[in-house]
Amino acid sequence: MLFRCAVPVTLVFALLAVPAPMPAADPPKPVDFERDVKPIFAKHCISCHGAEKAKSGLRLDRRANVLKGGDFGKVIVPGKSADSRLIVVVAHDDPDVRMPPKKQRLTAAEIATLQTWIDEGAKGPDDAIKVNPADWWSFKPLKKPVVPVSREPKVSAIDAFVQAKLKEKGLTPSPEASRRTLIRRLYFDLIGLPPTPEEVEAFVADKNPKAYEALVDKLLASPRYGERWARHWLDLVHFGETHGYDKDQPRPNAWPYRDYVIRSLNEDKPYNRFITEQIAGDVVYPGTVGGIEALGFLAAGPWDFIGHAEVPESKIDGKVARHLDRDDFVANTIGTFMGLTVHCAQCHNHKFDPIAQEDYYRLQAVFSAIDRTDKTYDADPIIGAKRAELEQKKKITTRLITAIEGDARKRSNDELTRIEQQLAEAAKPANSPKPPEFGYHSQLGAKQDVEKWVQVDLGASIKLDHVVIKPCHDDFNNIGAGFGFPLRFKIELSDDVTFKTGVVLIADETRKDFPKPGTAAYTAKADNKSARYIRATATKLAPRQNDYMLAIAELEAFDADGKNIAKGKAATALDSIEAGPRWRKSNLTDGLAPGGPKLAAPELAKLTERRDAIVKAAIGEKGVAELAELRAEITKTDAELAKFAGSKRTAYVGTIHTGGGAFAGTGATGKPRSIHILPRGDVTKPGKEVAPGAISSIPGINGTFSLPPNHTEGDRRAALARWLTDANNPLTWRVMANRVWQYHFGRGIVDSPNDFGKMGQFPTHPELLDYLASELREHQSIKKLHKLIVTSTTYKQVSTSNEANAKIDEDNRFVWRQNRRKLEAEAVRDSILAVAGKLDLTAGGPSFRDFIVEKPEHSPHYQYHLHDPEDVKSHRRAIYRFVVRSKQQPFMAALDCADPSLAVEKRNETLTPQQALAMLNNKLAVTMAKHFAERVEKFGTTDAERMTTAVRLALGRDPTAKERDALAVYAKEHGLANACRVVLNLNEFVFVD
Amino acid sequence: MNRRDFLIHSGGGLGSIALASLLGADRLLADAARRADGGLHHKPKAKRVVQLFMAGGASHVDLFDFKPELVKQHGKEADFGEKVEAFQNGLGPWLKPLWDFKPYGKCGKQLGEVVSPLGDVVDEIAFIHNMIGKTGVHSQGTLLQTTGFNRPGFPGMGCWASYGLGSANQNLPTFVVLPDHRGLASNGTKNWDSAFLPAQHQGAAIYPGTKTPIEDLFPDDRAKFITRDSDKAGIDLLTQLNREHATSRPGDERLDARIKSYELAAKMQLAAPEALDLSKETKETLKLYGLDHGKGTFDKEINPVEETDYFARKCLVARRLLERGVRFVQIWSGNDNGFPRRNWDSHEDVKRDHGPLAYGMARGAAALIADLKRLGLLEDTIILWTTEFGRMPSSQGGKGRDHNPYCFTNWLAGGGIKGGYTHGPSDAFGYKPADRKNPTEVYDVHATILHLLGIDHTKLTVRHNGIDRRLTDVHGHVIAELIK
Repeated sequence: MLFRCAVPVTLVFALLAVPAPMPAADPPKPVDFERDVKPIFAKHCISCHGAEKAKSGLRLDRRANVLKGGDFGKVIVPGKSADSRLIVVVAHDDPDVRMPPKKQRLTAAEIATLQTWIDEGAKGPDDAIKVNPADWWSFKPLKKPVVPVSREPKVSAIDAFVQAKLKEKGLTPSPEASRRTLIRRLYFDLIGLPPTPEEVEAFVADKNPKAYEALVDKLLASPRYGERWARHWLDLVHFGETHGYDKDQPRPNAWPYRDYVIRSLNEDKPYNRFITEQIAGDVVYPGTVGGIEALGFLAAGPWDFIGHAEVPESKIDGKVARHLDRDDFVANTIGTFMGLTVHCAQCHNHKFDPIAQEDYYRLQAVFSAIDRTDKTYDADPIIGAKRAELEQKKKITTRLITAIEGDARKRSNDELTRIEQQLAEAAKPANSPKPPEFGYHSQLGAKQDVEKWVQVDLGASIKLDHVVIKPCHDDFNNIGAGFGFPLRFKIELSDDVTFKTGVVLIADETRKDFPKPGTAAYTAKADNKSARYIRATATKLAPRQNDYMLAIAELEAFDADGKNIAKGKAATALDSIEAGPRWRKSNLTDGLAPGGPKLAAPELAKLTERRDAIVKAAIGEKGVAELAELRAEITKTDAELAKFAGSKRTAYVGTIHTGGGAFAGTGATGKPRSIHILPRGDVTKPGKEVAPGAISSIPGINGTFSLPPNHTEGDRRAALARWLTDANNPLTWRVMANRVWQYHFGRGIVDSPNDFGKMGQFPTHPELLDYLASELREHQSIKKLHKLIVTSTTYKQVSTSNEANAKIDEDNRFVWRQNRRKLEAEAVRDSILAVAGKLDLTAGGPSFRDFIVEKPEHSPHYQYHLHDPEDVKSHRRAIYRFVVRSKQQPFMAALDCADPSLAVEKRNETLTPQQALAMLNNKLAVTMAKHFAERVEKFGTTDAERMTTAVRLALGRDPTAKERDALAVYAKEHGLANACRVVLNLNEFVFVD
Repeated sequence: MNRRDFLIHSGGGLGSIALASLLGADRLLADAARRADGGLHHKPKAKRVVQLFMAGGASHVDLFDFKPELVKQHGKEADFGEKVEAFQNGLGPWLKPLWDFKPYGKCGKQLGEVVSPLGDVVDEIAFIHNMIGKTGVHSQGTLLQTTGFNRPGFPGMGCWASYGLGSANQNLPTFVVLPDHRGLASNGTKNWDSAFLPAQHQGAAIYPGTKTPIEDLFPDDRAKFITRDSDKAGIDLLTQLNREHATSRPGDERLDARIKSYELAAKMQLAAPEALDLSKETKETLKLYGLDHGKGTFDKEINPVEETDYFARKCLVARRLLERGVRFVQIWSGNDNGFPRRNWDSHEDVKRDHGPLAYGMARGAAALIADLKRLGLLEDTIILWTTEFGRMPSSQGGKGRDHNPYCFTNWLAGGGIKGGYTHGPSDAFGYKPADRKNPTEVYDVHATILHLLGIDHTKLTVRHNGIDRRLTDVHGHVIAELIK
């Protein structure tokens, strides 16, 4: 059916979209550039002299450029074809001179056309007039159309539009489907799960005429609805939970965005707010959780980790990586919300739509301050407010301390300043510059009292004299010496790699906070104990601004001869950020560490004493006491703040990134990077700098932002959000209304949902689309739109074909019946779990992982085949599956799930032997067949009864006697599990009428 | 206008078939669009392709692109005559080839000693020494060579070939990938995923010698309840029930197509193990591929016998698949760029890593070429050797070389390729193409291969998100000089 149904649609529209060539032998009329000349250039010349290449600076795709000529001058002289270089080269006999080189010659007739055109004055429509964007249906202002008058009294607006079109085409609508069909259709459509047999029977038996409407309301109010429809949205925005590219690292904090989308749909969040939050939630709705989590939209797509983390922006490769990154922001935003292929204007002006190359770079400038990164925020707004209050208090106290200290410095005639400088100098490491290999750095955590450890394997059990750990030095946050050194820790020895047996404790600093060591090394006596493994465990981590971590520069182990036998040995750790060369496990034993402080401890103490005396002399006892009190208050505030550390959540979003090394981001200032037009997208040839803005020539909305000179980067995103959600934006509402229709019917009113431009398709029902779009704009409610659609007579038609209609409109473009739905990968998987009685409906939170990761430290290997299908954690709905980019889940991929590396506006629908194999043999499918059998076993005493239950559960109906008997005979011979496997493979299980 | 014209003239070329991805329908439409001689746009010279991919960046100057100047200047400070951006710190002194070069074959092509097994078949090979990439980043370089784009989201070259040419044996996947069994290279399966093309054109990763060489080919081990009999009787029952269901829903060909997909699945269960079974291969053949070493285990350190076993075994499997109608086989050498090196990313020590990998590759590739020739298959099978980029002619201060996206080598053989030929020289050091204005890009190689397969690379397009996508983006020229 698809072959007859879907293909010709595409073809017909493709043909409609391409103007038919003019017959060659028309009565003489002036030769026209667009009509007559351009096709000749297109055939022979444009591949080298077009918008793409423009060899020798010559473009022949626009009349203005033909008149202008190339690098070497004019190519035509209007009125004088004989003097025109163009004619000379195309007509030349010498193949070395002739154009096009090495290709077919122009025919005599073609050359004659060119000559006539030139001789007639090289006329043609003005290019500027031609690109009038209002000429295209989707750019015209959105107005609510008048609903056609229908003779039927209770017909809905949708039905009126559809029926008018059917009448026009000579088609007749199909009858309403049975209640049994409707409930199954509605369940899969709205919540993506099968109805239980009880739900089916209750609905079928319900006498209330409003039963259908009540069912619609119930399903739209179900939390399962958001889980179903969020998947459609995540397809569009290409949401994934690993970076993709090389060394495909996981994004453990991507899931809050997924939950945000589910929540927003369930709450029926106004669509304009839904858009705004995803572009600029942090700016427009500050202090809200959704305002942060929504920014996961910007970070959803793939990201080149190596191109950022190992290559700085100063290098070409670094520039390319960041350009690709911004391209993804722009394409994702405009493609998702406006259905335009703006990214086509990266190298040149858009070939078909009114999008200038400058527009594209203006859009890049909107996002030029941000990167993809983790952002920590308060999951609970009340705690957030409390924290803000404490931080404010701390700020004020700090200010008071600074004032008193400043006063002290002044009163001491700067003696205090001098001694403070000496102290700071003395604490610095003795060796300078410090090596680029800073040390080991753990992953960041939200809690301080979590254990983290590092461990060195000496290769064999060796007698040890003492063990030394050395602190790091990093200017991050001006922390400097002692960066990441744990507040509490212990050092242990063992011959057991897991430290479960034979553990010898050689240093225990776990009972009270260890004073800040600066870069001074910590030494633990080992008393000639033998061990193969040495482990340093932090029991209280070092704080950063919003999180906690552990860093150690070097771990040394000395034998009796004073030789460091740990040097070069393998280091492992509970976790590690592995951002070489600065931070990686191997740095722990590389022999490189910042030197100790320049002054020894006793001298340092003397200096400190001296400083205290000066302070006292300057501000007196009272001043000293006041200072001490304020400092105590800071400690107290810090302690209170620490209590809230656990309430923090981290989300992977598009925001300002502050980092070290190559991936620095725009740092503390958040100043947007300057964006230049790149001819042909080449980062080495930046052209004119552009200001942030949007597409300039969409009628009705101003793409120029007119931001004040001192605007913030957030203002740019907020301006873009305003532009996207402007009521006069002709595309935003049409595009979304079309998507909603598409997911209900299997095909949009516009069958190119991500392209409403001139390469896209025409709507089959333009007025209906505008009606739905107007409804959306008016109410901003997606649920209202759902209800309008699914309660229509059009939606409720049967899906069976009829010959008379099929002859006219075989592919059902005009919706004279419902389309039979082939269930998507997620619906199939969730249904299998549901009928097997194993589906866990726990909502939200971190994704389940149905793979085992091997070699996580370098390039994680995502091994799906090692995962146990009985793992109950993986029995949640597919929307909660951890989505890996470098290796798709094989079962889901066989069933055409969306590839998270590209925007999927409409899924492919295939039927392949590999898909049959997956349904038959995949471990989850066969494991669930077994559970399905265990479940139905209890329902009856005969195989016939049990198989009746199985069919009811899986298909929502009773089996026919023939079906029941065939299944029972098979079950008797091969067992219930095999029979249940057959049921799960039925066409009826995956196709919904 | 008949259907074929309809398709070809619809602006989307074969693109429209993307929607008609049903088995029967796909074949019908695709066959209608194809010419009687198997080509899509013109008479093809080749029917099949084998792509050999060296993951990590194989060094052209040590293997195929002999630079006497490097030998002369060895150890001297590298002077590139311009500012060079290296990926790491690759601007140490000039480093001469790690292996001696000498001429082979009638053509007298200079090859590094480590790839000397290719000397026996060098007269079949055409080398391109002026390949350039876009960046020195592994992920982007790899994607560019496999899909024609330096970012994910585009179909692999094999997907396009499968899409354009269709299947010659429905019981086997059309596009087979033989990954390095030690791990996937940069981007994982993105290098062969079908992206916006229908799923049947996706590369099917096959791990020969394992229990389930193709994903889900046989029931999962945990399902003890499934026996051969229950399986067969189950599919019979399924077909019977599905037919009744389909009969009551006329006009939906998908329902019949799904029934057929189960028949094909059963056939694949028989065809795939047979295709992958090397036990019937003769001693001579095993010897040809270097698989007669008799070793069951290998040393811990990387070594040539083991690498030969891995790579040549995949080459032999490839030959068997090609014989049975598989259109496109992609063989990978090298896993992710981790440690210890089992890939070509020799920043530390070219001799240590490239040595065994290159020897194993050369043994396997040479055997494959010779074997295909013996069987008469070489004339319509293209072999493409490629990698994401080359390596710098300078060292990184020691024994390793940094990435060189500015210049590297590809070679092709068979399938209408002019053998014993060298195209597009690099400069005196192998740093950049000799003629910097006219380098060869992956688009040109892809265009040439599609051309040999009877496909005009500008016409094999698919509309996706409003853009007519093609393997060669908006670039590419057929390299006429490479064609016999």
